Amino acid sequence: MSLILQALINGLVSGALLAVPAIGFTAMFAVLRFPNFSVSGIATLGAFAGYVAYGAGLQVVGSLAVAFVIAGAVGLVLDRVAHLPLVKQGALPAAIASIASGLVLENVVRLGFGNDLRGYDRPIARDMHIGDIRFSPQQFETMAVALAIMLAVFAALAFTRIGKAMRASADNPELAALKGIRPQRIAMMASFVGMGLVGMGGMLLGLDSSIDPLTGTRILLSIFAAAVLGGLGSPLGAVLGALLIGIAEEGAVLAVGSAYRAAVGFFAILIVLSLRPRGLLGERAF
Amino acid sequence: MNRLVGRRTALLSGVAAVAAPSVLRAQGEPIKIATLTPLTGAGGSYGPVMAKVAKAVVDEVNAAGGVLGRKIQLVSEDDQTNPDAGVRAARKLIDVDKVSAIVGTWASAVTTAVAPLCWESKTFLCTVSGADSITQLPHQGYLIRTQPNTVLQITRTGDFLVSLGAKKIFTLVPQAPFAQHSIEIMNGVARKAGGSHGGLIYDDKKTTYRTEVDQALRFGPDAILCAGYMPDTVVLLKDLYRAGYKGKIIGQAYAINQKLIQQIGQNEVVEGVYTYAPSVAEGSRALERVKKMSGLSDPDPYTSQVYDHVNMVLMAMAAAKDTTGTAIKDNIRKVSQGGGKAVDNAIDGIKAITAGEKVDYAGASGPCDFDDKGDILDCKFRYEQIKAGKPVLVKIA
Amino acid sequence: MLNYLLFIATIGGIYGLLALGLNLIWGGTGMVNLGLAGFFALGAYASALLTTTGHLPILAGWVAAPIVAGAAGLVVVLCTTRLREDYLAIVTLGFAEVVRLVASNEIWLTHGTDGISGIPGPWRATLGREWFNAAYLPILLVVLVAVFWLVRRIDRSPYGRVLRAIREDAQVAQVAGKAVLRYKAQAFALSAAIAGLAGALYGHFTSYIAPDLFLPLITVYIFLAVASGGVGSPAGALVGAYLLMALLESARFFVEYIPAVSAVQRAALKELLIAVALILVLRLMPRGLVPERIPRAPRA
Repeated sequence: MSLILQALINGLVSGALLAVPAIGFTAMFAVLRFPNFSVSGIATLGAFAGYVAYGAGLQVVGSLAVAFVIAGAVGLVLDRVAHLPLVKQGALPAAIASIASGLVLENVVRLGFGNDLRGYDRPIARDMHIGDIRFSPQQFETMAVALAIMLAVFAALAFTRIGKAMRASADNPELAALKGIRPQRIAMMASFVGMGLVGMGGMLLGLDSSIDPLTGTRILLSIFAAAVLGGLGSPLGAVLGALLIGIAEEGAVLAVGSAYRAAVGFFAILIVLSLRPRGLLGERAF
Repeated sequence: MNRLVGRRTALLSGVAAVAAPSVLRAQGEPIKIATLTPLTGAGGSYGPVMAKVAKAVVDEVNAAGGVLGRKIQLVSEDDQTNPDAGVRAARKLIDVDKVSAIVGTWASAVTTAVAPLCWESKTFLCTVSGADSITQLPHQGYLIRTQPNTVLQITRTGDFLVSLGAKKIFTLVPQAPFAQHSIEIMNGVARKAGGSHGGLIYDDKKTTYRTEVDQALRFGPDAILCAGYMPDTVVLLKDLYRAGYKGKIIGQAYAINQKLIQQIGQNEVVEGVYTYAPSVAEGSRALERVKKMSGLSDPDPYTSQVYDHVNMVLMAMAAAKDTTGTAIKDNIRKVSQGGGKAVDNAIDGIKAITAGEKVDYAGASGPCDFDDKGDILDCKFRYEQIKAGKPVLVKIA
Repeated sequence: MLNYLLFIATIGGIYGLLALGLNLIWGGTGMVNLGLAGFFALGAYASALLTTTGHLPILAGWVAAPIVAGAAGLVVVLCTTRLREDYLAIVTLGFAEVVRLVASNEIWLTHGTDGISGIPGPWRATLGREWFNAAYLPILLVVLVAVFWLVRRIDRSPYGRVLRAIREDAQVAQVAGKAVLRYKAQAFALSAAIAGLAGALYGHFTSYIAPDLFLPLITVYIFLAVASGGVGSPAGALVGAYLLMALLESARFFVEYIPAVSAVQRAALKELLIAVALILVLRLMPRGLVPERIPRAPRA
């Protein structure tokens, strides 16, 4: 029993970290209407940008800000140059171009940093125990940062003008345009903020493990799965999806062994989608 | 005027070179050999330095006059740690570059995919892959490997743990060709010594192993073997430390090394961790050269092995007075074993061979003697323990 | 060099088969199959196991492979009938991962990550390496032409028009009295069968298969091939597959001329070049090199 509870907690922690890039991915989908798979490369880029900033003496929060800005800016440029012009042809060509951009970024990082593993020089502490259950103070710290980021995103979506405009434009672009919301600006905002979140997510996931050019590629499927599970386009759904994927992946280790971890995640998706064809929370932008 | 003549002579000699009969030209043409190492993909942290050391050996031999009066040209391709890409790269090396030897294939799946191309085209293949099945392939002698196979590695490691007093051993191993086999072998070793054993195969793409560590600790082990590669071992060691595990830990020296210690950045996490390294000839001059060539104070065994591959291949060519893959196949054991002048690099070896001497190479990875199947006959294991962030030698056996 | 070109032409042809299969459902019905690698793997494993452990002739493997993969395709598509079609993408992606995991873990059947080596090739021993390659390419081309002819016939037939109608608007097609589900399931299964056939042809050509061959990367490659060749056009799919192969291989030679970089940087540059070239093709020729031509319906 305690083993199950422990796995549940572990799953929640890793799910919370996954939620940050998943929100970014789903928010971009809501506004731009294509799945942007270059998140793999952007997450890696964010992780390395944060790593350089952290190495230069910035604290975690400062480094996250650097990761956000760089990932956001590069993501915006790529969307403008390579992906959005293709959306006219349909979501799929844009998605395919974004896979190629992901490969470009991965190899740009490899060109600059090589394949060596790098780790944030962060102190590692022993876990605290409450009964049989153990908690890692650091992982909770990282999780708290992730939660703070999520809160900020949801507050911005709910209360700021640009946030409201984004939601409106995701719900009904024509109506939003009629009301004087400029779609071009909203699209750019979505690219920047969405990719910024993905970049921060890459760094958060790298904080406790290590980073290399494949960091983002390893989490791409989990991000995609979380967003789909929650309902593509719904940020709150992405959070829920990410938590569920986190729990399913840790639970899988107990149930069928680590080797079949990925399969469990996908069966969870198949079941959820069969019962709720539009994902857990449907596709409302909020 | 002088310059004009110079230019014209150069031009003329260029024309002469093109017009010369092909036999003559072949004399001057470089001998081609290749590295096929993972430069991208999951093996990307090992392949680049392997290619670098191979290049350094070739440069060194070229500077000393080459082999059979010809220069050696090294072609480096990327197998992307993927058998499909590996096969395409190998075909290019074999059919376009017409290399006579390929060295350094790393992932077992890539080696198994590439091996048939090599023996069918009579190209010699030297590999560092550990899967037992590789030397069982019908390779007709066109394959050697310098990496001890899984049975040998795990048995030695298990014996070492037992000698340290371990009774309950747990094996954590990533999903790889050696995974299931490793667990079975370790199980046998532990039971034979009157202890018990548990094992777990994990997915090396995860970013945390907290649940895996919980699983392992429930078994109550007094020794844990972490048989993974560096990226996953970093996370495992951190999670084991966080979980408060205080028993023994052992892992491959290519995963737990200076780079990993530096990366973790906190000595208590790795304090007391044991490492084992097959095929590193500690204290040998060859290993010192590998350290210099790679720029690493603690080169992984793959790098040492690639150094040996290139040296042996070049000496075999010298001994055969021929540069084909078949010549290498027929002569590699004449330079690697069977007594004679002890050499540890191709320059000395080629000199001795040219002088008509028999040589016996012992390199950076060990004595480099092979059985008929291409497996190494003997190899020393080096055991170390990390103390205050530095590996300290325990024993070599 | 000739041998190498023959080899590349053969592998390119196998990619071409995969591209034809993908184009049939993507170009035809608008469905997205991110699990192409899984069906490719199923066919490869089915044929390899039948001819090695099963000791059956190669031809039996080639017949069985598309049947097994096609049947799996049918199961997958029927499992997803309740899902919105965007979500077919993730289910198929998951399917491919499950196939790979089973191949890695069920060692008793598949030899696990060691893979299956020594898969027989037609007259391989008697022909020797070079002639074997020269003989295999025509065999492959015959299959390729046959499949090409089949999908083109489908493309131009009333059946193909129904598929297109489904792609453009499934509801309208439904209202027009077409059994949308049946059409989609048939097309999907046929496409999976073609991928399975490609897998069998691959295994008997290289003589070795392993789970690592069927990573999602191959699916990505085929999508890039179809997109750059022209979605909806069978000829485009073939052109795209060979263009991709040409890019993958020529980048190798190109980067050899870049001085003063380490081996890993050269490898990174190579991958970079390939990706940038594909983005350029997509951007500059958004309808592909061979754009789709929608044949006019005959006047009734």
